[in-house]
Amino acid sequence: MIKEQKRLAEGLSVTSKVFVRSRNGSAMKIVREHYLRDDIPCYSLACSECLDIVKPDARGETPKFILSSKPTKCNSATNGHYLVVDTNIILHAIDLLEGDLGFYDVIIPQTVLEEVKNRSIPIYHRLRALVRKETKRFVVFHNEYSEDTYVSRLSNESINDRNDRAIRKTAKWYQKHLESKNIDIVFLCNDNDNRFKAKKENIDARSLIEYIDDLPNADELRDLVPADMTSFDELHSSDIMFPEYYSNARIMAGVKNGTVFQGILNISQHNILQGQVNVAQFKKPLLLMGSKNLNRAFNSDAVFVELLPKNQWKEFSYTIVEEDALGGENPDDENIVEPVISDKERQLLAQEAIKETAANRKDDSDKRLQPTARIVGIQRRSWRYYVGQIDPSSVDEAGNAVRDCFVILMDKQLPRIKIRTRKAAELVGQRIVVVVDQWTTTSRFPHGHFVRALGPIESPEAETEALLLEHDVEYRPFSKNVLDCLPKEGDDWKVPEDPNDPSMVGRVDLRDKLVCSIDPPSCVDIDDALHAKRLSNGNFEVGVHIADVTHFVKPGTALDAEGASRGTSVYLVDKRIDMLPMLLGTNLCSLKPYVDRFAFSVIWELDSGANIVDVKFMKSIIRSREAFSYERAQERIDDKSDNDELTNSMRILLDLSQKLKQQRVDNGALNLASPEVKVYVDSETSDPNEVEIKKPFATNSLVEEFMLLANISVARKIYEAFPQTAMLRRHASPPSTNFEELNDMLSVRKPGMAISLESSKALADSLDRCEDGNDPYFNTLLRIMSTRCMMAAEYFASGMYGRSEFRHYGLAVDIYTHFTSPIRRYCDVVAHRQLAAAIGYETLDLSHRDKGKMELIVKNINKRHRNAQFAGRASIEYYVGQVMRNNESEHEGYVIKCFNNGIVVLVPKFGVEGLIKLDTIGDVATAEFDEEKYELHFTDFSGTRRKVGVFDRVQVDVKSIKDEVSGKRKAQLLLK
Amino acid sequence: MELYSPEGLRLDGRRWNELRRFECHINTHPNSADGSSYVEQGNTKVVCLVQGPMEPKQSSQSNECTIEVNVNVTNFSTFERRKRGKSDRQVQELVTTLERTFDQSIMTHLYPRTLIKLDLTVLAQDGGLLGTLVNAMTLALIDAGIAMYDYISAVSAGLQDTNVLLDLNNLEEKDMSGLTVGVIGTSEKLALLMLENKMPVDRLESVLALAIVGSHRIRELMDQEVRRHGNDRLRKRNEM
Repeated sequence: MIKEQKRLAEGLSVTSKVFVRSRNGSAMKIVREHYLRDDIPCYSLACSECLDIVKPDARGETPKFILSSKPTKCNSATNGHYLVVDTNIILHAIDLLEGDLGFYDVIIPQTVLEEVKNRSIPIYHRLRALVRKETKRFVVFHNEYSEDTYVSRLSNESINDRNDRAIRKTAKWYQKHLESKNIDIVFLCNDNDNRFKAKKENIDARSLIEYIDDLPNADELRDLVPADMTSFDELHSSDIMFPEYYSNARIMAGVKNGTVFQGILNISQHNILQGQVNVAQFKKPLLLMGSKNLNRAFNSDAVFVELLPKNQWKEFSYTIVEEDALGGENPDDENIVEPVISDKERQLLAQEAIKETAANRKDDSDKRLQPTARIVGIQRRSWRYYVGQIDPSSVDEAGNAVRDCFVILMDKQLPRIKIRTRKAAELVGQRIVVVVDQWTTTSRFPHGHFVRALGPIESPEAETEALLLEHDVEYRPFSKNVLDCLPKEGDDWKVPEDPNDPSMVGRVDLRDKLVCSIDPPSCVDIDDALHAKRLSNGNFEVGVHIADVTHFVKPGTALDAEGASRGTSVYLVDKRIDMLPMLLGTNLCSLKPYVDRFAFSVIWELDSGANIVDVKFMKSIIRSREAFSYERAQERIDDKSDNDELTNSMRILLDLSQKLKQQRVDNGALNLASPEVKVYVDSETSDPNEVEIKKPFATNSLVEEFMLLANISVARKIYEAFPQTAMLRRHASPPSTNFEELNDMLSVRKPGMAISLESSKALADSLDRCEDGNDPYFNTLLRIMSTRCMMAAEYFASGMYGRSEFRHYGLAVDIYTHFTSPIRRYCDVVAHRQLAAAIGYETLDLSHRDKGKMELIVKNINKRHRNAQFAGRASIEYYVGQVMRNNESEHEGYVIKCFNNGIVVLVPKFGVEGLIKLDTIGDVATAEFDEEKYELHFTDFSGTRRKVGVFDRVQVDVKSIKDEVSGKRKAQLLLK
Repeated sequence: MELYSPEGLRLDGRRWNELRRFECHINTHPNSADGSSYVEQGNTKVVCLVQGPMEPKQSSQSNECTIEVNVNVTNFSTFERRKRGKSDRQVQELVTTLERTFDQSIMTHLYPRTLIKLDLTVLAQDGGLLGTLVNAMTLALIDAGIAMYDYISAVSAGLQDTNVLLDLNNLEEKDMSGLTVGVIGTSEKLALLMLENKMPVDRLESVLALAIVGSHRIRELMDQEVRRHGNDRLRKRNEM
């Protein structure tokens, strides 16, 4: 409701908006002022009047006029046009708007922007990014604040109608404003009613399809139109495939009275018809089985679930089910008629489930029975861009007719997606990007649309890009805004010679120290260097010098924002995706030898037992004497004849590091293992040609120990200075349930062995004890399997947890952070800033002192860190596949999991694990699966009876095959 | 919520350096007080009545002039009805701040052994309450003819990210760190500086500068009203 309008001055008037709302039964009256003005420009380069009315913003910048004076033309028009878009267009076709094929010179009315924001925050951010980018020439026109375009709501008008009217008025205003400039306005809207009204007002209103059809490159664009706008013909409302979701009110009521629970869905790695939901109320996850119960949810969606009656509680399925095995029909027990149960009964059920999951059940028959549930609503979809390929079997004939086909995604835990395209035949054999639009109750598969093609399957470029997209890694080059934040001197930047230069004030000159760096061979982003010296009192001075990235990356700049959003550098076998631009990472910040560099130094005084006597932090200037590789450093240390000062200081470092390591091990630091391998890529053909298991030198651990020490010291210091917002890293101790299955396996398969969980020390010791005399690799295998039971370490701001929960379990220290690699991790950048503030070097930016903002940063870098790890692993996996393609051979493998129709085998030589399905090695009908003993008995093709069990060493044939369905190359293992 | 859009507009359509609608009236209650005023800054509305200088109730021993401020925040002033007692901590703090500010600005040495009583009634609140109270008091004191060194004009300013914004309304005040200044006349001297949350030191100066400019503008508007009222009275007297 709008009250009277009052004129304040020329071009400025005020109205007030009044809403009456009720909360908790009491009425509230909200009165807001709303100022209307005449100085909102049209942003068109063709317009000369608006240039006179612009006013600078708080930073003193005037708005840029970016709408082209010669915009694109439609086929049917002589004039160029600007687009005014409605909300429904943006919500459904944001991908299309972002593409380069069309949609330039777009005006977004503020009303639309706000509607988009209310409906979808991610799309709002993408829209804002488009406006920022300027190359696509998108502008936001604040029609609600402009005197000429403001409309007040009529007495019996709905808010939607009022907004539609406001948008039309904006289109009309632009039309009139630019009439004399020969620029048309096209109003894009997919709402028939709104379009009809617009046409009556003489606005050129069109639907998306109508508009695209009128463009010169209509054919290219038509495929990209999202699904729900083209309507699939096979939708018969009669065949309902899935139950409807509950209404919001019903879900909320259910959550309140304890019959509906919320959690994140995890689809099983091996069975896409089985998922688990971790619910806070229960100790064990709830099981979801069958597509009906999974009810259209995707892996990692946030879902609402409801328990099923107890007679439907089931055992965890030990069967492997993959999407391609499903074909058209789902082998699903969909015929169970479900009894109607009341809320009361559901609450009782919930209590029972709590009991069930909490108790240590002795009853054997019930032992594996788990409460099951079904999904009744989706809180948040995890939908994003997906990479996949068209299922060739769904494309029958060539030709250009529009047809439906299936896209099989790279992520095996997701269903196939149905898309509609006329390019199907062309796209077979390509990696393509698709987006999911909807999944209705009447459709067995989700509907989506094609976004773009990456390139042929198995071409390194397409595969790398696919991998980055799949893991949500930002890999596009840095934008101009970001690059503008770099020092103007570029590669010629030098440490200033004048000691009074502002960047030198407060820095300690450490150029006389004998600093050197030790890194992997051919490392270009050197972010740490070390020095050591024997002091006159018999103690040692040890310094760790970290690249001073925050000197170049100031908070609040575009560079900082980009770094924060990337969170970490991503290392792939053949490629590195930097967090910060090359110039910083590999030159200005990198602590290269023989040149002066800014650093952040931690300098300790250590006694001969490597105990800290004193620690100092300072911004400094250093000059590295040498950059060693691990191997080269090892040679220098081992070479007895080498007695120069630098080598001697490295010997001191090595000696102290070994003592530090011993201290850590005594405290219970874990030595876990992962099957890490390194892939050598031929430099000329860039074909991978060899796989090697990483082998560590003593110097690896030298550097590592001092980095750990620096991280710990810094963590203490910043926690002291900022008890609420210090950037720290923790590693929770694993809950005992994580180890239940592994310990059970051990007790059955390797009697006498067990992993103890009382403390990290006990765990480390028990792992050391688990040795198999006949099999030296067994211990490593067990470590690999234990690693998978661990919790993931995470970043956090100190205010988020109690002091006792800061502990880093794996390293066995009470507080920890990341400080030593600011070039490639954003956590370190924050830690640098906080440390600089803690020692009084500079003031700390507000965003690192605000608990809420820190939580956002932490959430993002945790996610990025995880994605980067997955991407790195996936890259290695891909290249290992390529290596094996050339050398098929027989290798030793270990069984790590048993199902009733297959086994999972790990091959240490390649660090790969693969599934061996029973039907490839023997007769399925003869198989007997002994769950208790983790053993599978079967008769192989030659007729001999065999049994395999967990931890067994087996001989396998390793070869690489291309999965024709998903287009993924994977290791095919065959049991000998 | 986007407090300051990339296009340079705030939630209510103002630019960064614009005051809200400012309206003031002087001598609104000529029969019930020695001086009175009514001030609206946006949707924040305040009435001020001045009594005195007068004899204190209990004749105290001190030779000083006592300034007594009462702030009555009406139940309906916020969007949710809420009763506030006199001992409400926030109100008490406001009272102390106001008393201290005006202790220094009134020529108290001219009024020994007297009491100057100011009653403030808050009719509506939409941010920047302290500033509005100060402005209302200045006008009422002028109306009562109590000697002051100069106008005290006050307004708030805040920092959103790196942008400085003038005269915060309720929505902005809740989400940003802001300060209120009371400026003496056309000088850059401050009679009042109130900062209740954190603000980075390196930004403080620019926020202060903006608030001072805003206060000067408010002083002009108040001065216009005082002169208008003065001329009115002069004209009426001449007519008689």
